[in-house]
Amino acid sequence: MSTAEPHPQEAGSQEPEPKIVAFLCNWCSYAGADLAGISRIQYPASIRVIRVPCSGRVDPFHILKALQSGADGVLVSGCHPGDCHYLTGNYVARRRFAVLNDLLEFAGIDPGRVSFSWVSAAEGERFAEVVREVTEKVKALGPNRKLVKEPAS
Amino acid sequence: MSREEALRKRARELLESKQVVMVVGHRAASTKGKAQPAFIAKPEDAESLIFDETCGQNLAGHLLKVKHLGKIAVVTKGCDSRSILVLLKEKQLDRAQLHILGVGCEGVKEDGKLSDSCITCEYPNPIVCDEMLGEPAPGDRLQTLNPKPQTGELTSDERWRELSEDVSRCIRCYACRQVCPNCYCPVCFVDASQPALVGKTTELSDNMVFHIMRALHMAGRCVECGSCARACPMGIDLMKFNRKAAQIVKERFNVVAGVKEDDAPALTVFDPNDKQEFIR
Amino acid sequence: MTQRVITADGLAKLVTEWAKKGAVYAPVKAGSKDWTEFRRVTSLKETDFSRVNTKQSAKGLLFPQREVMLRFKDGKSEEPAAPEEQVILGIRPCDAAAIAFQAKFFTGQGQTDPYFKARLDRTTFIGFACNTPAETCFCTAVGGSPSGTRGLDLLLTDIGGKYLAEPVTDKGAALIADMPDPAIGDLERKLAEKCAEQMPQAIDTAALKRRLDSGFEHPVWDELNLACVNCGACTFLCPTCHCFDVTDEERKGRGARIRVWDSCQFCIYSQHASGHNPRQTARSRYRNRVMDKFKYTVDMVGELSCVGCGRCIIECPAGIDVRETVEVLTRQLPEAAEKK
Ligand code: SF4
Ligand code: SF4
Ligand code: SF4
Repeated sequence: MSTAEPHPQEAGSQEPEPKIVAFLCNWCSYAGADLAGISRIQYPASIRVIRVPCSGRVDPFHILKALQSGADGVLVSGCHPGDCHYLTGNYVARRRFAVLNDLLEFAGIDPGRVSFSWVSAAEGERFAEVVREVTEKVKALGPNRKLVKEPAS
Repeated sequence: MSREEALRKRARELLESKQVVMVVGHRAASTKGKAQPAFIAKPEDAESLIFDETCGQNLAGHLLKVKHLGKIAVVTKGCDSRSILVLLKEKQLDRAQLHILGVGCEGVKEDGKLSDSCITCEYPNPIVCDEMLGEPAPGDRLQTLNPKPQTGELTSDERWRELSEDVSRCIRCYACRQVCPNCYCPVCFVDASQPALVGKTTELSDNMVFHIMRALHMAGRCVECGSCARACPMGIDLMKFNRKAAQIVKERFNVVAGVKEDDAPALTVFDPNDKQEFIR
Repeated sequence: MTQRVITADGLAKLVTEWAKKGAVYAPVKAGSKDWTEFRRVTSLKETDFSRVNTKQSAKGLLFPQREVMLRFKDGKSEEPAAPEEQVILGIRPCDAAAIAFQAKFFTGQGQTDPYFKARLDRTTFIGFACNTPAETCFCTAVGGSPSGTRGLDLLLTDIGGKYLAEPVTDKGAALIADMPDPAIGDLERKLAEKCAEQMPQAIDTAALKRRLDSGFEHPVWDELNLACVNCGACTFLCPTCHCFDVTDEERKGRGARIRVWDSCQFCIYSQHASGHNPRQTARSRYRNRVMDKFKYTVDMVGELSCVGCGRCIIECPAGIDVRETVEVLTRQLPEAAEKK
């Protein structure tokens, strides 16, 4: 796992950014993020990137654990359907994410805390857009108080 | 001959003729209104078998403990048979090593009341069996009783509060997991320690993660037998989660666990056209 | 020590008074659920003594399921504040005996568990004798009594709207010292004794222990464990079970060392760091629980660790009854005397 992340600065913003853990697949979305960085596209400095080999590697646990550990939001991003480096990793993951997504909503975790996207290696601008959007949503929801765990309490 | 007599007779025959090495069924427990799984290996013990409204435990899971002994006969109501199907598909059981004694189920009772899961049960008769003992239960009988519990239009916060109230009572005894016929992983996610996945404490956050993950792992596999909810000492309605998971799987992937012999477990396969409205 | 009769009003006043000085825990109806549980109360009105036993025993009040042992921050650690003074009102004699057992376990083996001890020292136990035992009660079979006083400071017996109060310790006597001193008749005493008559006969636990001593490998275990699903319901609800696990939780330099209940029925309980697990099978875990209750703790602290509250019988999802288990073992295991 690598935590090398691009460090885009949002100029002039006073508000503290929410903390969003982004699980990016190595082959598409991570490269997309890289491209956004190289192209100097501006987006909020809200994400902490965790590089994974495939969106299929993202266990729902990782997502819940991030929320328990104090993330305000989680973004999972992988290759577009059909483009998976391992052919079907993202298809299988999609089913799992669908169930998780609906279960989280059922449990009362606000929709928008956890987001999913497909971003290819060529979509630097799209990556920035997704991050902007996700950040706005999470900001609107405010800090994550439902699943967060305070170890010292 | 009553169904129970037929059951005892067949069990005895199967054991005497050595067609099976064991009959797994139910016997009366020492406390009133409770039954206990029975593992009958001697023909003369077949007399202790019962089948009535106290026999709520899903026996499919118990098969995993004795399958190494040889061919097993098992008393099977609707939900048990669905679990057996799930276990067959997941390669945990071998059909050739099972003799399924089917019984129609009128629903099981808990403290004198028809169990929740049986009110909503759509499959009271075994889906697979080698022979039926007694008459099948009328398939539509339960549906007439069937006011599927409504979650209603609650807001996120209200749903969170409602579930929190339930889940915060959880003492993490894992009775729900242990009685579940389809929970058989040698190392369950709650027991994983390197790294630990779910916190071991009973804080709301840990309990909620346990319950969400349990439901997720049961999605497409849970047959809604209600054993877990009946087993829970703290009266937690695990069926809330289970029903939701089953509903998601049905609506999204058109799969109902354990009712067909030839479909794959919902979360092990995919359809390129699966709905993905939640993905940006 | 002088026994006294307390009226319901008198008790209500006492409860209100105690609640001003510290925490008072008593059985309370659990919302919409059909059981009672120990909750903090401020008046007698909130309590419900109609059930024999609470869902969970009172053990969590001295040995909580989740207990912070220490907190740390930036490399410095800090111990939790001392626990509050507490009164446990309405604890049944079996549960009180169980805490006395736990006290032996936690403080009587040359080591003292400071967390348990701190709570024990600050707890006053006011018991409630049982007038009508539940179907699953068998305290008398394992050396207890529905009006037993072990582990208590004061025992109350409901004598129809009034309570017979029997101090067991000085602490208990002081609690009711200011009450008027009415005469008590034999009638009231008899009430409690009557209950014991309805209860099971004592089992010969010494003989059972001798059988267990040599019965570790006996084939009876192969059958006995089959119905058991190896959940932890029995151990967590058992008032004497005392196993725990310690876990550290940390985030950004802040964290806590927490202990949580553990159960010998869980696979992970006996798992070594190497991955080896000496109690890998369901059979060995089931055997361990029974052995622990009727043999191991006798070896360790000199008494068995079953007080007959019946919770495991009520809650076992597989319908297992420890009384039946004991009966089968006594019948099938050979006496130790006949050496193998
Ligand atoms: S869910 Fe209930 S009614 Fe349906 S088969 Fe199972 S026990 Fe019988
Ligand atoms: S059986 Fe009930 S109390 Fe035990 S772990 Fe499951 S939900 Fe929690
Ligand atoms: S989760 Fe509960 S209802 Fe579903 S199969 Fe398992 S025991 Fe039955």
